[in-house]
Amino acid sequence: MSVTSGAAPRRAADGPPERFPGFDVLEQSGHWDAVTSGVVLSRVGMPPDIRFFTPAEQAVATALCDRLLGQPDEDDGTGTRLPLVNLIDARLAEHRTDGWHYHDMPTDAQAWRDTLAALDADAQEQYGTGFATCAHDEQTALIQAVQDLGSDPWHGLPAAHVWSLWTRYACTAFYSHPTAWNEIGFSGPAYPRGYKNIGVDRLEPYEVHDAIPSDDPLRRSR
Amino acid sequence: MSSVRDRNESAWLLPADGARTNHRLRHDMRRFDDTDEVDLVVVGCGAGGSTMIQRLARAGWRVVALDAGPFWDPDTDWVSDEAGSHHLYWTEPRVISGSDPVPLGSNNSGRGVGGSMVHYAGYTPRFHPSDFETYTRDGVGADWPIDYADLKPYYEAIEEELPVAGEEWPWGDPHSYPYRPHPVGGNGEIFLRGAEKLGVTAKVGPVAIVNGRFGNRAHCIYRGFCLQGCKVNAKASPLITHIPDALAHGAEVRANAMVTKIEVDERTGRATGVHYVRDGVSRFQRAAMVAVAGYSIETPRLLLNSACDRFPDGIGNDFDQVGRYLMVQGAPQTAGRFDAEVRMYKAPPPEVSTEAFYETDPSKPYQRGFSIQTVSPLPITWAEHIAAQGHWGSDLREYMSDYVHWSCLGALCEFLAQPDNRVTLSDEKDRHGLPVAHFSYSQCDNDTQLMKAAQSVMEDILHAAGADEVITIDRYAHLVGGARMAADEQHGVVDADCRTFAVPNLYITDGSVLPTQGSANPALTIMSVAARAADRLARGARNGA
Repeated sequence: MSVTSGAAPRRAADGPPERFPGFDVLEQSGHWDAVTSGVVLSRVGMPPDIRFFTPAEQAVATALCDRLLGQPDEDDGTGTRLPLVNLIDARLAEHRTDGWHYHDMPTDAQAWRDTLAALDADAQEQYGTGFATCAHDEQTALIQAVQDLGSDPWHGLPAAHVWSLWTRYACTAFYSHPTAWNEIGFSGPAYPRGYKNIGVDRLEPYEVHDAIPSDDPLRRSR
Repeated sequence: MSSVRDRNESAWLLPADGARTNHRLRHDMRRFDDTDEVDLVVVGCGAGGSTMIQRLARAGWRVVALDAGPFWDPDTDWVSDEAGSHHLYWTEPRVISGSDPVPLGSNNSGRGVGGSMVHYAGYTPRFHPSDFETYTRDGVGADWPIDYADLKPYYEAIEEELPVAGEEWPWGDPHSYPYRPHPVGGNGEIFLRGAEKLGVTAKVGPVAIVNGRFGNRAHCIYRGFCLQGCKVNAKASPLITHIPDALAHGAEVRANAMVTKIEVDERTGRATGVHYVRDGVSRFQRAAMVAVAGYSIETPRLLLNSACDRFPDGIGNDFDQVGRYLMVQGAPQTAGRFDAEVRMYKAPPPEVSTEAFYETDPSKPYQRGFSIQTVSPLPITWAEHIAAQGHWGSDLREYMSDYVHWSCLGALCEFLAQPDNRVTLSDEKDRHGLPVAHFSYSQCDNDTQLMKAAQSVMEDILHAAGADEVITIDRYAHLVGGARMAADEQHGVVDADCRTFAVPNLYITDGSVLPTQGSANPALTIMSVAARAADRLARGARNGA
């Protein structure tokens, strides 16, 4: 898992078309309070080492999270591939979970171990190789099969609760990163400066208008 | 009513130099010994507990509040960041079940001094008069042993102390607010536009966010991170609205102190204090009176975990009432897509609301109703919305890149109190070796109908405002009930004054005593119920006689 060092990357590799050209939330970091800066900028630097997942679990989790967030396998040089598994691993290692768990699921940490093993078993059964070494379309099919089960059981666990576990952790990791904020035009921390221009179509001087405002994915899909 | 500063000086006890915490006040705080029999020990320092100690310290009582979490400093402990605010939530282990299990943690469970009001949005509507007699009026829910008029003076007092900003309020018991409404951002603008086109009355407020200057608290800067703890001291939480005044009047707040058991003397049947753990050391605080204010999950859990010979099934549980009638509000969120940029993350999420659908409408097949408010999810929460539509992979990324174009409304549907929606003890244990709470929740037909009706109205409002697409995610908000107030011990845990039927010097002063919840955010009502209980105590004897 590597992260481009040096200048802060502007957009994530393999992402959607660039809608906010030139917008870089990190350019505003000089206006953030020190405590917030510390928290946010730590995500841009070296990702934390893997402590919770075994190497086998890490391999499955990496492929799973990359598919869930549409990331490429490797940096393609155009941007950063976010270290989602390192961020999830840190939460599980440090018990930074939400605390609660469904009565028909183990605790989050154990549920991650169990479901990664189950996904790997599905890959072995269907494609004769581990999940991490399956082709992208095979991985996608295996993941889609879990989502399609809805609330039916998958390896003894309600598939909907498994889906919720995976997407909650993966989305939290991805959308906590300034690179993801650039992709969606989100201005990030706003203390102590706050916002001066609130209201529809009102931007701060450093915010950038969407270059393709009518590119509504819902409308396009109809 | 006397001026608010004469009653509660909190806002003037905060620093005026841009710092958010009066460290001198905390440093000089009175400290009691465990062996001192204080007049009152309060368990939990959120909406209910903080109000209790502020009121009773002012009345000259010797009071200590124990809180399991930290004594926050907004400058150093809180950030303008979603993922970085995880420590604001109660994330000790809990188990959820039922046909509609309710996720806990970040959405509805606070931690530390200030409680859930540290991360609540800031909406502070009153309950309607009908909420206190839903059984009589509509044949559902329960009647309270008090009515709206009993709470009204406390609503008015707390609204001044927070203070609340909003327009003239036409619903329930019509009333005004001490501060003018805030300007609205893109999301509020969309709501007002859609409601007007539809002929639905919507109003700005009511939010407990300073508009102007209040004491040494600063004006809101519209940064949008209300749910991550207000670094500005503009949004009200007891940490800044009641605790400073409590400390100035000799109360002690003992943070990082996890209460594990209420001790009851088997011979006298009276509470003698609480066991707690601090820095790993088990201790016991003596007290002439105990008030539990740990909110709807932890309060029942503590009562159940305090079982003893006299109360083998938990304190106050002789009639199997503890933990029952726990309620959440159905809180579907419907979002609409606009070609214009709404950028709902700018300005506080709480802006505009309507209570036009709050009361029972005889033409509908369901009882009771719902309110609608602006909610403005930040990116991680917004990703939950998009993922809930089934999107993942590059599909999810594309939908997410559309974030600035969306406006989002949320409903609060009055789910009905049901006996089997309850907290029991799980076989699982926490790090103290205590059984954790098991919270089971299932909707009834009326609940499900309200969810659908609310979604349909939100879709209409967004379409009327010009949205071309709408999406909805079903979720829940708030917790109340679990140790409810009732006329007698066979129907509840505490009486009208929040005193437990079972133990004369044991009180419960938090959201768990609410028998119904209306379609209102509960913070203001929880504070008002606690303020009333404190008032009754201050006027009576100190020993619960």
